[in-house]
Amino acid sequence: MDGVTYQRFPTVKIREMKHEYMKFELRETDASIANALRRVMLAEVPTIAIDLVEIESNSSVLNDEFLSHRLGLIPLVSDKAMDMRFSRDCDACDGDGQCQYCSVEFLLNVRCEGDQTLDVTSQDLRSADMAAMPVDFEIGRGFDAGGYDHSNDKKGIIIVKLRRGQELRLRAIARKGIGKDHAKWSPAATVTFMYEPEIHINEELMETLTLTEKLNWIESSPTKVFDIDPNTQQVVVVDPEAYTYDDEVIKKSEAMGKPGLVEIYAKDDSFIFTVESTGAISAYQLVINALEILKQKLDAVRLSDDTQENDEQFGELRQHMGGVS
Amino acid sequence: MNAPDRYERFVVPEGTKKVSYERDTKIINAASFIIEREDHTIGNILRMQLHRDPNTLFAGYKLPHPLQYKIIVRIHTASQSSPMQAYNQAINDLDKELEHLKKVFQAEKIRIENISL
Repeated sequence: MDGVTYQRFPTVKIREMKHEYMKFELRETDASIANALRRVMLAEVPTIAIDLVEIESNSSVLNDEFLSHRLGLIPLVSDKAMDMRFSRDCDACDGDGQCQYCSVEFLLNVRCEGDQTLDVTSQDLRSADMAAMPVDFEIGRGFDAGGYDHSNDKKGIIIVKLRRGQELRLRAIARKGIGKDHAKWSPAATVTFMYEPEIHINEELMETLTLTEKLNWIESSPTKVFDIDPNTQQVVVVDPEAYTYDDEVIKKSEAMGKPGLVEIYAKDDSFIFTVESTGAISAYQLVINALEILKQKLDAVRLSDDTQENDEQFGELRQHMGGVS
Repeated sequence: MNAPDRYERFVVPEGTKKVSYERDTKIINAASFIIEREDHTIGNILRMQLHRDPNTLFAGYKLPHPLQYKIIVRIHTASQSSPMQAYNQAINDLDKELEHLKKVFQAEKIRIENISL
């Protein structure tokens, strides 16, 4: 039986790739692989996040556990998380923050002295390890989409606001973890995939419609999938992927007494993925890490040698017994 | 207060096997694989890959209970094969597919970056 294989050879086409956003096409595989990839990206790709907080002094308006929770949710740059150890597997330490293999220590020491309210942000977290700093969103670089000028804004994520005389001093330990344990470790903001739609317009039947009927029919779709060609006045597909499998155009053609105006299939071996990361790792790295994790998971579910041997002995035993089966 | 530890969802307890194999007592070439601390991620890709094997007559998986962190994969094969053989084949094929996917992804990234330069 050696050499027999039912392996597939999927293809990938990246449409758009930014640091924390990516859109790609995955073809020649099935929904189980696409969904496994999505699930692993959301819940099983490791990142680092603050997991233990020792508060030395807190005279802010927020209580200690509220602050600790907020600290945990701050995304940290986790490029080295794949090579780190989980604290529970680390035999070099007891997870106290001094261990280079499994933890990163952060210090925060802020006191408000002026009359102005002081914002304590993720940028105030100090760490000895430059590779695990809080994610920098680079707000304050010019104007946003709404035309609002951010150039005077302080960068970082606000943790708490202090008024005169209030202070916050703490030590935090960040550890490696996965989204399955707690959502703060999830590197994914959103991961979605959709089947690629295949839209066939019945041109012959479509030409029996008047222009107003055509426009009415086009309007029945909640998303802009179809349009009129201004030259030929024919209905054309402008954006097949805008189709949300809502069946509205199909219902409309039936209501107009012209069933079969359009046929729409979902190609079940072709997927369009959208991946958005929190910034902890890049969207591209998120996909690569997910593939690696999935491979490791598969290796972990291989049968152990002793299980296989036990079964072989059992098979022989059955043969001695005269093949009772 | 008495909530179970969160890590119980994905850490195999000491002294427990990750995968155990249980041969069917009545039907030949039928068996169940009990996989500890796995879910639909592994269960569904294994099932779909087993369906590609023509020697597999039946392949299915279930998650018996949301708070029991294990899945049961049941395989029934034709006489030329065995559940264990089909199971190993499925894992090998999936492993190769993912390795291939990783390679094409890396190649595609390089292609994209060269275009934008």
